[in-house]
Amino acid sequence: MLKLTNLTKKFGNFTAVNNINLEIKAGDFFGFLGQNGAGKTTTIKMMTGLYTPTLGTVHVGGYDIQKDHIEAKKLIGYIPDQPFLYEKLTGREFLYFCGGINKIEKNELKKKIEETIEQLKIDDWVDKRTEEYSQGMKQRISIASALLHNPKLIIVDEPMVGLDPQSALVVKNVLKEKAAKGAAIFMSTHSLNVAEEICSRIGIIKDGKMIFEDENEVIEQIIGTDHQNLESLFLHLTK
Amino acid sequence: MTTLAHIFKYKLLTLIKFQEAFNTRSIIKNIGSSAVYFLFAAGIYIFTKNILGYLIDDVKIGLYLLHRFFFVVLFLLFMTVNIGNMVVSYSTFFKNNEVGFLLTKPISFTKIFLIKFLDNFFYSSSTLLLMVTASLTGYISYFGLPWYFIPIAVVFLILPFLLIAGTLGAITLLLIMMLASKFGLKKILASIAILYGVFIILFYTFSSPVQLVTNVFKYFPNLDNYFGFLESPLIKLLPNHWVADAFYWISAGKLLAAGWNFYLTIVIALLFVMFALLLASKWFYKTWVVFLNVSNELSIKKKKSGNAFFSFEKKSSLNPGNEALLKRELLLFIRDPSQWTHFLVMVFLIVIFILSISSIDINFLNTYNTYLKTMVYLIIYLFNVFLIATMSLRFIFPLVSLEGETIWKIRSSPLNNKKVMLTRLSIYFIVIFSIGQLLNFVSNYQFPAVILIISQLNTALVTTTLVSFNFGMGSLYANFKEKNPIRVASSQGASLTFLFTIIFLVFLTLLLFAPLSNYFLKFDNFNSASVTQLLTTSIMLAIMTIIISYLSISVGIKNFVRDI
Repeated sequence: MLKLTNLTKKFGNFTAVNNINLEIKAGDFFGFLGQNGAGKTTTIKMMTGLYTPTLGTVHVGGYDIQKDHIEAKKLIGYIPDQPFLYEKLTGREFLYFCGGINKIEKNELKKKIEETIEQLKIDDWVDKRTEEYSQGMKQRISIASALLHNPKLIIVDEPMVGLDPQSALVVKNVLKEKAAKGAAIFMSTHSLNVAEEICSRIGIIKDGKMIFEDENEVIEQIIGTDHQNLESLFLHLTK
Repeated sequence: MTTLAHIFKYKLLTLIKFQEAFNTRSIIKNIGSSAVYFLFAAGIYIFTKNILGYLIDDVKIGLYLLHRFFFVVLFLLFMTVNIGNMVVSYSTFFKNNEVGFLLTKPISFTKIFLIKFLDNFFYSSSTLLLMVTASLTGYISYFGLPWYFIPIAVVFLILPFLLIAGTLGAITLLLIMMLASKFGLKKILASIAILYGVFIILFYTFSSPVQLVTNVFKYFPNLDNYFGFLESPLIKLLPNHWVADAFYWISAGKLLAAGWNFYLTIVIALLFVMFALLLASKWFYKTWVVFLNVSNELSIKKKKSGNAFFSFEKKSSLNPGNEALLKRELLLFIRDPSQWTHFLVMVFLIVIFILSISSIDINFLNTYNTYLKTMVYLIIYLFNVFLIATMSLRFIFPLVSLEGETIWKIRSSPLNNKKVMLTRLSIYFIVIFSIGQLLNFVSNYQFPAVILIISQLNTALVTTTLVSFNFGMGSLYANFKEKNPIRVASSQGASLTFLFTIIFLVFLTLLLFAPLSNYFLKFDNFNSASVTQLLTTSIMLAIMTIIISYLSISVGIKNFVRDI
């Protein structure tokens, strides 16, 4: 579903992402870990078409994000780290807007929005303007907007930022459910316990390079032999 | 004072550090911008000198009428700064995060008001000040006055004059907010709009430029004398009259008489500033609370009533993508007070202009020479173009920036970016195009039909050029972090765009002047004239429109899809 080939991004002389190769299949739940400034968000921005790679390609469902960006983006549901929304629209209006730009038919969209509101438990405040929302509320609207068109690939950048424990649980469950139904999930996170709990594969990026990438079972074996938990392994690899 | 100096120091640091990194691209960009500013100032200087030479030496309108012309221009400047400050202050006093931050600190409300007022005043008036200074240099040079008149006039006459306009705007805003808590915002806004309308109509009634010209010309050839006795005493109470009179006396070499007007302007400006500070000490915090309450009330009302007409839930015959973009655009516009209030103010001024212009009998011009007729036609035409340029700068330039930080949603969606931007652009283009055509019709219908038709065509071309150009420059200088469209429209990029627009206006004047003069000359003498020259001008304008629009839209779209 997602294929990164020699993906590189340079800003002047600084290489933010250095030759990343990765393939994620349908149903995979990939946890993308790294310290602040390691290159996680830059990688994600290239995957979603917000940045143009300096070198390499991003293919989503076989479509090149640069050449066939419309076809590729139809398959993506993107949840950014900072959930900026249109402040003067209500949460519901924002969801209708997102459904519209994904060309979902009105009746289907209405049904889908009601389902998502129920699923993410946002009914109490979805009709308020988003300028009145807390960070967590905005994050949940952002998540809801990314799921409306049943994306085959969900790209999530720091999904737990600003969420209260109940909301975090809801989001974790929704993402797990999507992966179980066959969506590929690429999740960048600082929450090592969340990654350990829900990801089927984990990759660690440091200074723009992928320094570690494997299946969760293998990671558990490594942790079992040399480390107490994923945190200990992460600190060891990124020191 | 220490607190104020401390805050200003850090504001200055933020401003300096906000500028781009020190690299080749930014150096070239800054050198380019400086060159444009310099050329623009030089252009205004030359233009002012030449236009003064033309009006005084060729048309021979005399010193008095020349300064009455300044009086009207200064009135427009006063109203622009006044209304502009009122609208911008609404955002900076009440919606700005910095005010919320400062209110939690041990700083007096008067100081917070002063910080935000000066922030507004200098941020949005810097280009205006550059224009005025360049124009003043041309004026001083034409009349052969010493150079030190320039800083003296800027500091002791122009700045106090602008301060009166600005503080009056801020005072009116505080008053609006206080009254809004008792009578409701909509009622107060409507009352203020009516008051301004009445004031503008009274201004034109009492100043009556046409009547003044006729009365002054009775004293021909002694047109350099002071004809203050021909004017209404009420008009003499206006600050633009003091400034225009100060310049009249300076040009006539009577500095003592000018001194009185300087004194009056400075004293009244100081009184206005002191009154504004006094009012701020009592009302600033109260009005801030009123703003919060009004916002909450509006939010609750909106929630109850909804926007049935633009409702996303309503079915539409448009394709879902276009429908979503269109409804988003309209809803964001009508829910942002800085957008719709500014739009209404502009429409209001246009309506006043249309009413004024349609009541003037152009035929009275037949009693004067052909050149004056050409000048009147050109001044009205350029004023129309200037209005179109102002609307483009205010509503088209911020178009890309207003995608804001939510741009991630559009850019990561399966949409054709070119189509998205063209859809948005066309909504505003249709509105500005219609206003331009209406303005042109109302101001030209008294001229021969062929002039009217060519004028409509030229206005259509000029509107297309200005809208495209503002779109391209707005995208090139896009600032996705700035939420306030007014600040986007008065940023460095916007100032540069405005300067190019002025250069375009000068170019347009040069392009139209000779064909129009020839047309009127032949028409006046033989009652018929060929339009070949005018049509050739329109063809040249059309070629230029195609080139500028193509380049601007291409640059605009290319920059929209850059890394964010």
